[in-house]
Amino acid sequence: MENKLPITRLGKFFSQDDFDINIQMGEEYLHGDLNMKLVLYRVDKNKTGTDSVYAEAGKDDIKYLPPIEFNGLVKIDEPKNATYKNGILRYQEPGNMVISVYIKHLNELNIDVRYGDYIGYQDSEDKVRFYTVVNDGKITSDNKHKMFGFKPHYRTITCTIVQEGEFRGV
Amino acid sequence: MGIPKRKNNINVYGNKPVLYGSDVMDRRQELLDSITKADSFLPDSILHDDLDMGMLDFVKENFQIVTDGQKIPVVDKIMTIQRWGEFANNWSFSDDDGNPKLPLIAVIRKPDAQIGKNPSTIYNIPDRRTFYYASVPTWNGNQMGADVYKIPQPVAVDLTFDVTIVCTKFRDLNKFSKLVMQKFASKQAYTNIKGHYIPIILESIADNSPIENIDSRRFYLQTYTFVMLGLLIDNEEFEVKPAISRALLMTEFIVDNPVQRTTKSGSVDITTINIKANGTQTIFSVGEPMSIIFNVYINGELLTKDVNYLHISGTSKITTLGAPQANDIITIQYFKGKKSQKADNVTTFTNSYGKIVTLFTDSITITNNSPFMNLTHDIDTFVSLDINGLAQDETTNFIITNSKQVKLLGTPSISSIVNIKYLF
Repeated sequence: MENKLPITRLGKFFSQDDFDINIQMGEEYLHGDLNMKLVLYRVDKNKTGTDSVYAEAGKDDIKYLPPIEFNGLVKIDEPKNATYKNGILRYQEPGNMVISVYIKHLNELNIDVRYGDYIGYQDSEDKVRFYTVVNDGKITSDNKHKMFGFKPHYRTITCTIVQEGEFRGV
Repeated sequence: MGIPKRKNNINVYGNKPVLYGSDVMDRRQELLDSITKADSFLPDSILHDDLDMGMLDFVKENFQIVTDGQKIPVVDKIMTIQRWGEFANNWSFSDDDGNPKLPLIAVIRKPDAQIGKNPSTIYNIPDRRTFYYASVPTWNGNQMGADVYKIPQPVAVDLTFDVTIVCTKFRDLNKFSKLVMQKFASKQAYTNIKGHYIPIILESIADNSPIENIDSRRFYLQTYTFVMLGLLIDNEEFEVKPAISRALLMTEFIVDNPVQRTTKSGSVDITTINIKANGTQTIFSVGEPMSIIFNVYINGELLTKDVNYLHISGTSKITTLGAPQANDIITIQYFKGKKSQKADNVTTFTNSYGKIVTLFTDSITITNNSPFMNLTHDIDTFVSLDINGLAQDETTNFIITNSKQVKLLGTPSISSIVNIKYLF
């Protein structure tokens, strides 16, 4: 059994109840008002067939657990103009997607977002973009991720775009 | 010791393992025909764009990789700076955003074309001088002719190509690398551009994969740099000149006259030939080259060179100015000679013993009844004796008494001129 130690710091000004009500209000705003939905495709490591030497998966070979919808605050960077080869073979790279998600929300859904998982975000009615997690934001010890220094309350997950050849949600 | 690997992509031998005898020439002709298989006898031009296309074809043909059941596409054209052209070239494998889908292979030529370093063309012929390439028969509806085709030495040029593979799988890199390595196990591989085998050298391999970017999309990007040792052949520089449009065949008929030939051997061999004239001919052949003609007679009467007859030294014929009458006897006294035996064109010879002898004529005017003619020099080889231009016969008309004296066997009239020709 894990040891649990109650957080008692800031006890004269802030408590677990304060923490919970802040989360509740935040979720009300995030889930109710903003309602930014994302779909998490967690890679099924057991079923995904990989290369015996390089552990690479072929097209549509990535198997995933049942997708789970979750809410988060989504910020997508500007796309950048780039080329593969010295100014030739141009492509436009969609910007990274940075998601802020309540830890409580992930816990309620009983999910974890891991490095390499895929996340789908509906760009428009007929366009969904898939991203892969490049920073799962699991370490939340910094002040930014702690509510008034009390304890962590959200994760910042950074994702970058994936091309259709790697993953397309099928 | 292993057997040297035959260079790839060279089908020099056709479908045979090795060629022998006439097959070699046949195969060469076949190769030449393949170069000139277009609409003229001249080779097709090869310019920069042909070389580029040759490289593109080479990549498409030799570097085919299949991944996930699909062939990795090669961008259809040489990529340049025109943006719309780039878009047009990869639209067939672009995603919804218009970005080219990975994996892909692209061929990019470096804009600079360097002076060629092909060892076989390192020595250049300056001034773009043209050289014979072929003679091509022509027919204008009336007469047969020929054109001479001349071309200058092709110009060597080195073009550098970056063949870039962009992919997301290590195995694709391996496949591509395997193909390249196998193809370039020899120093060079060849691409066939309009029938010409153009060598390509693998210069370097570079990895530019942005895999250190943890926070952005990652892919493999490797660049194989090839140098094509190309040749520029420009049909603007070809020269087509008419050669012979009409051939005039001249045939000389030498009449086969009765001929009598005698050769008097000495330190210098003197040949005397008698030819019977047929009344119309003016050209008389002795059947062998004559270095020096000593005398020409018609019926024993001495003729004068360039007055009565013509002869070019070293030829076998004389031409009389006017046809002698039928059955006239043309007597030609000559020295066949060798170049080594003739010290000059006129009077000096090297005899059989290596001694220099000189042709000399003593002209003696008869002033008395003495039959003895005293000579200026000792006779080495006797040539002829005539009195007032009429040939005299040795033993019948005169005898040689010693090396400096001749005795006439008759008495010529006073004031007659006796010409004694000899070598001393």
